[in-house]
Amino acid sequence: MKTSFDVIVIGAGVAGLSTAMQLAKRGQSVVVLEREQLGNGSTGRAAGLLGQLRGTAESTRMLMDGVEIVLDLEKQADVEIYVQTGSLRIAETPERAQEIADLVTMGNSIGFDIEHLTQTEVAAKLPYMKTDDLLDACYCSTDGHLQPAELVSAYIKVGRKHGVQYHTNCAVTNVIITGGKATGVETEAGQFHAPVIVNTAGPWSYLVAGMTDTVLPTAAICHHYLTTRPDDSIKVDRFSPAVRNRHLRLYTRPESDGLIVGMYGEEATEYDMESLPRDFDMSAMKARLDDILVATLVYNANQRFPWITERTAMTMTTGIMTFTPDGKPFCGKLPDIEGLFYGAGFCGHGIVQSPTIGVIMADLILEGETQYDIAAIEADRYFDMPELQTRADIKAAAYQMHAGYYGNIEGSKQ
Amino acid sequence: MKILVTCKRVPDTDQKIRVKEDGSGIDDSNLAYVLNPFDAIAVEEALRIREEDDTDDEIQIVVVGVGVTDYEAELRTALAMGADRAILVENMTLMDPWTVANTIAAVVERELPDLVLMGKQAVDDDANQTGQFLAALLQWPQATFASKIEFGGLGLQVARETDQGIEEIEVPLPAVVTADLRLNEPRYASLPSILKARKKEIEIIPHTDLQIDVAAQLEVLSMKSEISQRSCIMLEDVNSLMEIISP
Repeated sequence: MKTSFDVIVIGAGVAGLSTAMQLAKRGQSVVVLEREQLGNGSTGRAAGLLGQLRGTAESTRMLMDGVEIVLDLEKQADVEIYVQTGSLRIAETPERAQEIADLVTMGNSIGFDIEHLTQTEVAAKLPYMKTDDLLDACYCSTDGHLQPAELVSAYIKVGRKHGVQYHTNCAVTNVIITGGKATGVETEAGQFHAPVIVNTAGPWSYLVAGMTDTVLPTAAICHHYLTTRPDDSIKVDRFSPAVRNRHLRLYTRPESDGLIVGMYGEEATEYDMESLPRDFDMSAMKARLDDILVATLVYNANQRFPWITERTAMTMTTGIMTFTPDGKPFCGKLPDIEGLFYGAGFCGHGIVQSPTIGVIMADLILEGETQYDIAAIEADRYFDMPELQTRADIKAAAYQMHAGYYGNIEGSKQ
Repeated sequence: MKILVTCKRVPDTDQKIRVKEDGSGIDDSNLAYVLNPFDAIAVEEALRIREEDDTDDEIQIVVVGVGVTDYEAELRTALAMGADRAILVENMTLMDPWTVANTIAAVVERELPDLVLMGKQAVDDDANQTGQFLAALLQWPQATFASKIEFGGLGLQVARETDQGIEEIEVPLPAVVTADLRLNEPRYASLPSILKARKKEIEIIPHTDLQIDVAAQLEVLSMKSEISQRSCIMLEDVNSLMEIISP
């Protein structure tokens, strides 16, 4: 078995798979080490919503470029990844209406296709949604979602074509440091060596960082979404637009003739990854029948989609997201150890960020720089910050970020 | 009308379950517990019977658990789903299906329900005996492995999932009915219902109060994990696969 490579990638979620594929395309020999199965973890539980207009013009550019990469991947791997349903934001309060007005202004200023919709137009696009209380709405025709499983298979297919090796059920137990540089890892299947090691371990990323006594301020937060079963009386077209309803903290998109509805609530269940069993399998997670956060999700979903009740036939998907104190991922290296790179903390948006993140990671690893402005996502932005050194402080900061994720009014400082 | 539903607290079998090294039982450190999924189906069925009832008859749903104090969490789940009342027969010793059936029979004699709904089996020991024992002890008719329950005929019309196909039978009430997987899909408790359930009382009956004088018929000698004998190899091409499947 080959054990020496140019790059070792820890974690086969979309961040690791995309990074490995991009590195291999540029001639690197890459091995991906995964504790479980490829594409399991947060990737395997994701809904994959793509809303390109968010935050800054640069993050929008990254997401738009990501779509181009995906369109190319679709051709190479012969799978459908990008489902262009369009997306809506809806507002039922004056504050949220202002948020939408600002978003449309911002979008138009950078030439992004976004327009206001009237209540009647919204009702025509989404006949299964309550619309009579809406004050405003906006529509982006180029949004949609990426199908996570298909994206994973495309990354692997193209990666394998370029020589990426994948080892599953191969948990990394230690990072080997020689002369202040990372030179390899220990796993349950023996040692692997490489001058570059990439930590794309998702919710486990802070534990992998801990192997080198590095503090990575990420925290694991539980998330639920429901998927309704197909119902002849409620037609959910495959190309119905995704909806973001920030006031009710909901997002939704079509899935297999049913509807996905998820929620970024004010409260959430936190996980300490170190206390989970070593062979913990995220795909086996399920919510208790009396979980109050699930009940809150169904309750809020019912406000917007009155036909969804506790009696509705549905599947509940439960998983873990990796949150950071500012809602942005960590990409790049830290000052402490040479050769160690990070790509983690995608705050529930890893699927759609992954295509461009792979390019950025490959840029940073091979060139030391990238054409993108990555100030907002640079890995070292919190390095050595005294208030983010203990797990308790990091968790509190990430939890607060999560609580305000849909709760805060964009543009206001809350 | 009163429906009694049994609720067992079981390890969540979607997790990986480990056996203690000495084989004396399962390793319960870090183990998450849930309401036995078949019992959740039984609770759901009772709720649907109540919701779909168009008579003026009030339908009361009482859930009962037999075991340690921690059982309250799973009884609380059933209350949150919509059960009216819960009874916990507190017993710190390990029980087998026979002693549990005798215990529930004693509760039935106190509560006098018209129908006992149970999961067909609990997913921890998969014994599939308690419902049958209970019906025999009470000398009530039984309908096991129910995939459909309707009121009518003699009392209840029940479709039973058997290895030969769906068997349709009628039983007079009172009866014991055990739920199979396809009977329904249990709901997630609604927010108002969870909040309401917090105020519902769980009646605790010490096992000794029931004065049941029966001994367990079953002794667990040892437990061990099943070791998978399957091995997996990667093949280079289709031809090597053909060599294996068509020797």
